[in-house]
Amino acid sequence: MKERRKQGWFEFARAVGTILAALLLGFIITLFVSKEPIAAYRAFLLGPLTRTNRFGNWIEESITLTLVGLAICLVFRARQFSLAAEGQLYLGALVSGLVGLYFQMPALLHVSLAVIAAALVGFLWGLIPGLLKAYLDANEIVSTLMLNAIAIRIYNLILTYRLKPPEAGYTVSRYFHPTALLPRIVPETRITTAIFWAIAAVFVVYFLMYRTPFGYALRMTGANIRFAYYGGINTKRVIYLTMAISGIFAALAGAHLSMGIHQRVILNVSMGLGFEGIVVSLLARNNPLLIPVTALFYGYLRAGADIMERSSDVTRELVMVIQAVIILLVTAEGFLAFLQRQMRIRRGAELAEGKEAGDVI
Amino acid sequence: MSSLIEMRQISKLYPNGVLANDRVDFSVERGEIHALVGENGAGKTTLMKILYGMEAPTEGEIWLRGQRVHIRSPIDAIRRGIGMVHQNFMLIPSFTVAQNIVLGREPLDRGLVNYTEALRITEQLSKEYGLKVEADATIDSIPVGMRQRVEILKALHWGAEILILDEPTAVLTPQETRELFTAIRKLTERGKTVIFITHKLREVKEISDRVTVMRNGRVMGTLKTAEASETQIARMMVGREVFMVVDKPPVQRGGVVLQVRDLTHIAETGHVRLRNISFNVYAGEILGVAGVEGNGQTELVEVLAGLRPATFGTAMVDGQSLLNHTPRKVRELGVSHIPEDRLTYGVALDANVAENTVVDRYYRPPFTRNGFLSVGFIMEFGNGLIRQFSIMAPDASVPVRALSGGNMQKVVVAREFSSQPRLLIAAQPTRGIDVGATEFVHQQLIQKRSEGCAILLVSADLNEVMSLSDRIVVMYNGAIVGVFPDAQKVTEEELGAYMLGLKKQDPAEMEAYL
Ligand SMILES: Nc1ncnc2c1ncn2[C@@H]1O[C@H](COP(=O)(O)OP(=O)(O)OP(=O)(O)O)[C@@H](O)[C@H]1O
Ligand SMILES: [Mg+2]
Repeated sequence: MKERRKQGWFEFARAVGTILAALLLGFIITLFVSKEPIAAYRAFLLGPLTRTNRFGNWIEESITLTLVGLAICLVFRARQFSLAAEGQLYLGALVSGLVGLYFQMPALLHVSLAVIAAALVGFLWGLIPGLLKAYLDANEIVSTLMLNAIAIRIYNLILTYRLKPPEAGYTVSRYFHPTALLPRIVPETRITTAIFWAIAAVFVVYFLMYRTPFGYALRMTGANIRFAYYGGINTKRVIYLTMAISGIFAALAGAHLSMGIHQRVILNVSMGLGFEGIVVSLLARNNPLLIPVTALFYGYLRAGADIMERSSDVTRELVMVIQAVIILLVTAEGFLAFLQRQMRIRRGAELAEGKEAGDVI
Repeated sequence: MSSLIEMRQISKLYPNGVLANDRVDFSVERGEIHALVGENGAGKTTLMKILYGMEAPTEGEIWLRGQRVHIRSPIDAIRRGIGMVHQNFMLIPSFTVAQNIVLGREPLDRGLVNYTEALRITEQLSKEYGLKVEADATIDSIPVGMRQRVEILKALHWGAEILILDEPTAVLTPQETRELFTAIRKLTERGKTVIFITHKLREVKEISDRVTVMRNGRVMGTLKTAEASETQIARMMVGREVFMVVDKPPVQRGGVVLQVRDLTHIAETGHVRLRNISFNVYAGEILGVAGVEGNGQTELVEVLAGLRPATFGTAMVDGQSLLNHTPRKVRELGVSHIPEDRLTYGVALDANVAENTVVDRYYRPPFTRNGFLSVGFIMEFGNGLIRQFSIMAPDASVPVRALSGGNMQKVVVAREFSSQPRLLIAAQPTRGIDVGATEFVHQQLIQKRSEGCAILLVSADLNEVMSLSDRIVVMYNGAIVGVFPDAQKVTEEELGAYMLGLKKQDPAEMEAYL
């Protein structure tokens, strides 16, 4: 038991180690491209903590990342490589915006309606590729990427031709009715009550996955789908429901962006945030309880990168390079697994002395 | 003169705290056939993985041809002339036999793989050692016995002088086993050395020169096979007397439980796999299905278990139709099923033992209460089965991946036996498990029979079918070609004649006994 807990910590340390290694590499790259590498890198490393609004940006981003990370975590645990989060996020932003713009009602009700509408559309937008996969064996990577393209087109179309006021200089909607805005809870930032959704969502996903029969079916389907089927699990149902439920969380991320951050519908609301959920979830080894942690990590990195880009001579390209390095290191976790094995072997040698065969520590 | 291989004081501690090898001394002489036996989880595979460079020993030394060596990886092992055929094969399913054999050592022609040459190499190796393969067929289209021959030929093509075979006969028919043994003898005639892991002591006696017995991670001793008896080896392995003869009370046959009529299955490829199969299984009896593997037994089992559709015909359990339902519906009718291939259907390797034991019942109370999974109860249940079935695992929270092959099989057996079935379909129930555990499973099968369960037993092991069954049917080419109402009165030769399709009973005559 103690051993297992230690293993959990090692996993965590490994995730942190991955990021630290990436940061070091990032610094080496900065050395080559910047005239003031120390200052530039300081902006990157400490920037998000230097001002309240920057701190706010970090937390806001982390909320979004937590929600999309959870969405990805669900489908990945069922071993469905659904990339639908991006499109679901757009539709969540759009639908909550429509409710915010066209309805009028008391605040609590208004927000709830907008959120429920967003969740519903995310669910449905996940159900489509889910059903296609379950009953027609359509590859979910292809179908979800296509659905993403469709979702973004719908978003742009409605925004440009319906929501944008004729007099507006650029493509945005009007601000939502105040009753449809998420209350801000930290002054000078855009941190809203969405932070509570994110926290609740983590526990909901954890609970769903580990404490409900559906979650069991989901995990078994992911571990060995033939075993699950043989054991009597309706694997088709698991596939489409998982993809649909995952959509709820991605759409909530979208609702957070439009009702909490921008307070209106804007163009390019996501720019690939749905895909960043993959990084967050993989860093957390698809463990829902670790997702807020890795989201904060990765969110910090993104916020810092943003600040460095704005306050130094380092270009956007380098920022992208650093992020790419992280993704590379995450996928190349074999290196760290190797380190871990070496350590175990050494520790194992110590433990082996005076131990009985078959004994368990 | 020093031995060819000498492993000295080898210890292996797995990260989860299992000490799989404990100061093991193991030596092999050049040109011998050395059997390695021991209970499930004794550490045989681990020891061989260390020799093959797949696992690093925690402690100890390996000496090869009189020199101290560090074998760092399988590639390193291959370079030193060591080849291994694993319990679970490692071939590329979409490649052809020849491509798999030359993989990594391809004959080249101007930088490209010369496939004609690869085919020639394959044919030549195949002929030389008498290991029949279809060089141009893809791996996923050939039966498991041939896949194993491919693995062996591959190791030989790579220049193996020492060949490790990890439970090769567990997946073979008696016929294939004989062919394998002939090939092994040819290998040693050519100066090669073979290490052979098995649970079947008959095979140890038949093929090996010496035998090393392991128990609980330790070596209990190495014997000259000619001087040791099967019982003696078994006692050394288990540490107590093992009864290899099944003690069976007379049959108390009850009513019909499973009734199959004209069952036919045509595969998606258009091949007819089952032809008008009809038979009954009664409460309190074991009906054995004998046959050379690949004559429809797999399909019969999978159609009955809800894993494949029936093309036509009927099958009823206690009067309720069984066919073309989901596996859950089938299980709710009281059917449980030990699948022939544990890794495909039987377990989820990355799920823990407890989770693996409840896949058929997790959604029911007491496993789920008020819509929530009773995690604590499931864990307790898993731990209970570990104790009851003597599964070698620290506790039910370890992933099944960390268990030895035989202990994985015990997890499957434990789950399927513990569901109080009306009909138990047992396909190769003792595949890959040791003599002690085999004895245990046999006792459990007899126990279920006494409780009035109907049992359909499919096994490639003729001995198993003959000693456990009350009645036996023989399948050949998708049809039942013979029925023996009293399993005690049939001889191996007679069954063999039916299994090979040399003899056939008249359908009208059979009807009364099916
Ligand atoms: N990768 C692993 N991680 C942790 N423990 C393991 C691992 N592989 C094997 N073990 C443990 O080591 C012990 C020895 O396993 P091993 O596979 O060597 O047994 P075996 O003698 O080959 O048994 P079998 O006859 O069942 O194949 C077992 O208790 C098993 O649970
Ligand atoms: Mg083994």
